[in-house]
Amino acid sequence: MAARRTRGVTGSDLSRTTVARATAIAEQLRYECSILLELYAKKESFVVEVADGRLVSVPPPSSQLDTRDKLWRLHSALLQCRSLLESAIAREEEELGGGEKGDYETQRNMVKSSLSFLLITTGELLKAADGAAVPTPDVEGLESGGSTGLFALKRWVYRIFKEVDYWTKTAITTLQALPSVIVKERARSGRVRSVRSARR
Amino acid sequence: MPRSKPNWSPLWLTCVLLGLTAVHAIDVLTVPQQVSLSANTSTQQLAISWLGGAAATFDLMILRTEFNMTVFYDTVSATVNRESGRHQWVWTSVEPLECTSLSVRIRSRDGETTSDWSHTQILQGNDLPSYEKIQVLPQDRIVPVGANTTFCCIMEEGKQFGIIKYGNTVMHETRLSRRSYAVTAVNQGLSSQSGTNVFCYDKLKSNSWGSVVFVGYPPLPSDFVCETHDLISAVCRWNGGRDTRLYGKRGTHYTLNNRKCDFSSTQKRDEWRVAQWEGNWTLVATNPLGRHVLTDSAELRHRVRPVAPESLNSAVHAWNATVQWKYDIYSSLALDCQVELSSQGYKTKRTFSGLGLRSVVLSDLEPDEDYSVQVRCGAQQNFWNWGSWSKPLSFKTNAYAPEALDVWMWINKDYTAQVIWKPLTRRQSHGLITRYEVTFWSPEENRQRTEFFLPDTSAVLINLTQIATVSGDDKVTATVIARNAAGVSQPASVHIPLRLTDVEPGPVARAVYTDSGFPLFWQRGDNAACAYVVEWYEASCKWDCPVGWIKVAAGTTNVSVESADFQPGVMYDISLYSITSEAPELLQRWQGYMQELVPSASVSLSTTQQGSDILLAWGEIPLADRRGFLLGYNVYVSSGSELTLLANLSDLGSREYTVKGLSEGSYKFTVKAYTSAGEEAGVTASITLEPYTDWLILEILASMGITAVFLVIVTFVCYKKRKWVKKAFYPDIPEPKLPGDWSRSQEPLDVKPSPHSLVHMVERPEWDSSKEVLIVIPEEEENEDGLGDEPADTDEPASLRYYNHVADERPIRPRFPDSSSSSASSLDSARTDVTYTGIQTSGSSLVFQLDPQGSSEGHQPQADLSFCRGGGGGGGGGGGGGGGGGYRPQMQSRAPSDDTDLVSPEPFFEPQAASSGGYKPQSSWHLDSPVEAGENDGLAPSLGSPTSITSTQFLLPDGEEHADERRSSSAATWFTNLLSSTKP
Repeated sequence: MAARRTRGVTGSDLSRTTVARATAIAEQLRYECSILLELYAKKESFVVEVADGRLVSVPPPSSQLDTRDKLWRLHSALLQCRSLLESAIAREEEELGGGEKGDYETQRNMVKSSLSFLLITTGELLKAADGAAVPTPDVEGLESGGSTGLFALKRWVYRIFKEVDYWTKTAITTLQALPSVIVKERARSGRVRSVRSARR
Repeated sequence: MPRSKPNWSPLWLTCVLLGLTAVHAIDVLTVPQQVSLSANTSTQQLAISWLGGAAATFDLMILRTEFNMTVFYDTVSATVNRESGRHQWVWTSVEPLECTSLSVRIRSRDGETTSDWSHTQILQGNDLPSYEKIQVLPQDRIVPVGANTTFCCIMEEGKQFGIIKYGNTVMHETRLSRRSYAVTAVNQGLSSQSGTNVFCYDKLKSNSWGSVVFVGYPPLPSDFVCETHDLISAVCRWNGGRDTRLYGKRGTHYTLNNRKCDFSSTQKRDEWRVAQWEGNWTLVATNPLGRHVLTDSAELRHRVRPVAPESLNSAVHAWNATVQWKYDIYSSLALDCQVELSSQGYKTKRTFSGLGLRSVVLSDLEPDEDYSVQVRCGAQQNFWNWGSWSKPLSFKTNAYAPEALDVWMWINKDYTAQVIWKPLTRRQSHGLITRYEVTFWSPEENRQRTEFFLPDTSAVLINLTQIATVSGDDKVTATVIARNAAGVSQPASVHIPLRLTDVEPGPVARAVYTDSGFPLFWQRGDNAACAYVVEWYEASCKWDCPVGWIKVAAGTTNVSVESADFQPGVMYDISLYSITSEAPELLQRWQGYMQELVPSASVSLSTTQQGSDILLAWGEIPLADRRGFLLGYNVYVSSGSELTLLANLSDLGSREYTVKGLSEGSYKFTVKAYTSAGEEAGVTASITLEPYTDWLILEILASMGITAVFLVIVTFVCYKKRKWVKKAFYPDIPEPKLPGDWSRSQEPLDVKPSPHSLVHMVERPEWDSSKEVLIVIPEEEENEDGLGDEPADTDEPASLRYYNHVADERPIRPRFPDSSSSSASSLDSARTDVTYTGIQTSGSSLVFQLDPQGSSEGHQPQADLSFCRGGGGGGGGGGGGGGGGGYRPQMQSRAPSDDTDLVSPEPFFEPQAASSGGYKPQSSWHLDSPVEAGENDGLAPSLGSPTSITSTQFLLPDGEEHADERRSSSAATWFTNLLSSTKP
């Protein structure tokens, strides 16, 4: 992180088109997440909000973070979400699968696909912002916390779905705030370059 | 342990024995020692073992430790482990053993004797303070449908219990300990794929936990059988049976001959392959709720089911094809193979046999036809089952020359004809028809002409008249062939006669349709017919009709005609022709309906009144609308909504009916034609039977005509005899003779007429127009009897005042003679010195106004003294009716109230206003009635009034006396006016 933060945002190729596309994908993902949560809550008769803490571990949000760091933080969180989601799907199939596939399974795969699209787009944005690559999260540490039993598995899966929903909303907020920031930082970086060239 | 003391006394011996017995008893019922508890949480069983001496029964007490509540207390017979010497007994708990701590105590029992309780042994539950978190037990339990399961919830330390839900159902809990609560789900139903959740909430629902329970069925497979496809390996199949509702890890597992069937996630779980045939097979199906075993046993050759033939190919011809496939592994096996042939949606199966069969020849195929074949085989010996169908192979047979056409003809009335043929079906074409070739030729003249037609042609029009003019033959032959890519069909010919005759072979018979068509019978003809043609067409068709026909072999005398084109309600003409070397000859004709219907149209009905009878007449229904053989007509009269049958007319030729003896009134008649299918809707005509109106009108007209003629004749006669009429009814009136001098000043001459005339009328031969005349001024007379105002028809003479005044140069005479001849003659005299023009009746004088100017205010009438504008309106003092007015002298001033009326420009007065004039007649003579007085154009005022030459008053007619020319008119003129006034 320290190394990342020392790097400036220069020559950013972020385009409004990419941001808009990422925002649209995030909007779609949020819609699909809401349906998935609804289907799952109905299927499992879950009526109480799961009050457990976050499963995704990223640096806390701060107004001091620049665009690149915000993108990095978002991308990292979404990467963890995808890993969690894949793990949840695998565990579900292993423990509870085997029967006929229904709407829930279809919606689950749609969320997974949309999340992957969003990750690709945010990855492009991060790359354009000269952000550092985000390491693949360690899924082992994201397992259901050692709780045994299928009920714990269901709770864990539900938490993952809510986590994806949360980070999807965060992505929308971050991406919608992104274009103006990029413009400012582009202007600022432009001024820096002109000053540097003048000094030469 | 018993001991013996042989030398002791009996008492001591008894005591010792009793004491030893007691000691022995105490030794046997030892307190159970080393009580040990072993819990199986999955089965909820608690195994209790102890060392318990020689006792065979034990009292066992199990309590919930925290609440010291007994959950089990019974005497049990425990088994003894020979090796360890420990007694053991297993207790199954309703609740999971972890729900709360359990205390176990045991004591030995021998009859009613028991030992002391053992030390309490405690099985610790999960509700100990060391387990702080919320828990729900049991976890992930799998139970069969209909089971009862008890769940317990151990609340988190410090939290208050809320509820327990089984799925969405809130359960009634039982408290087991300070933190532990239990609920029991009874008769559990099938759970979903992911199980049924059991939730436990705290009071505030801030925290929850749960468990999952799966409710399903044990496995129950069936139809287990093994077979071989390749004569080496085995494929075993079974039916999985009902859905156990347990999936994944909890799903059914299979073992085949003790080898696990390890299905992939995508593999169907009802088939397993074994590399080598084993002969005996055992399938075991197992899931957490149970297991099921199935077996099968068979020899390899008895369970051969060949695989589907592969790599099919074909060698195709016009009428047959050879189909081959690869089947190497069955070269030594006698096979039966089925070939399913599909064409045009129809499928047929053909079976072939042979050792290692690998090809078949399919014969009897149709040329130019698409086929699809599939092949499957089975063992010829010890047939077990057909193998799978091969993939379909499609091919198309080669084309071939078309079949011969079926040709016939149709001749119109105008000697045009059609050569028609039935279009070849796809099967008959044997390939795509490219064209038709029609050749007309005359055998005798050996001339021919060929024309070509497109493939969609099925009829060719020819002009027989034209051909007949150039050909001396009596027939022309048309030969038709069809051509496709593979060749031409056999020619088909028809002879068309050039000399037509309208000779009918006989009466037209009626053909009755049956299930098999129109059955037709005919006599064998003596002509050399080589065949017959039965032709049919719609009877209503007259021109280029669509014709159906069939050809019947010679010698046949009956046939049943059936066609898909036959329609119900349509009459068909059916004709039988003999086919010879000459033109076809009409032998017999029929008519028939496939199905008779009620007529679709109604007759056109008309009604005619004939006196008290009504003639109903109707037209014929067109043939196309009859839709059946007409059987007759029903005539109804409708009364309200009901029809009453008047007549049933079965004579089709008579289409009229007379309804007789009807009285006056309205009638509705309905006529319905009927066939064997019933009667049509019918047509209704209304007619109103009226009295003899025509005669009455004629009588009235005749009467009026006669009257008119009579009047004309009378008029004519009167005109011709007008002199006589005048003489008879209108003689000249002599002038009055006046003795003395009448030419004094113009002063009123008061004359008191006597009841008889006081004026001597002197007739002078000459009339001096300038001579002054006397004007009669009615004198105001006092009505002595007080009735002067009232009109009265009286002859009492009124007092007249004659006024010597030159009134007019024109002769004055009354226009209308009175019925009294004397008065009439006196008034009409132009030579009379005293005129009576000033004499007015109260009615007429007010009605007529000869000269409007003369009536103006301040102008004394000169020319017409008789007319007085008299203050008509109000001068009379409101005497009411005309009878109220009397004669007044002209010189008298008018009532002041008349001023407004006098200046009125109104030249005429209404009769009613005139009658209310203020002039009263001087005499007592009055009109007959006020009404009469009001009439201004009638004769009433003068007719009937007493006029004589001595009379001093007249009831003068109105109007005309002011017209100059009329004053001199004769009686003829009067009569003409009379006639003209009668005209409307």
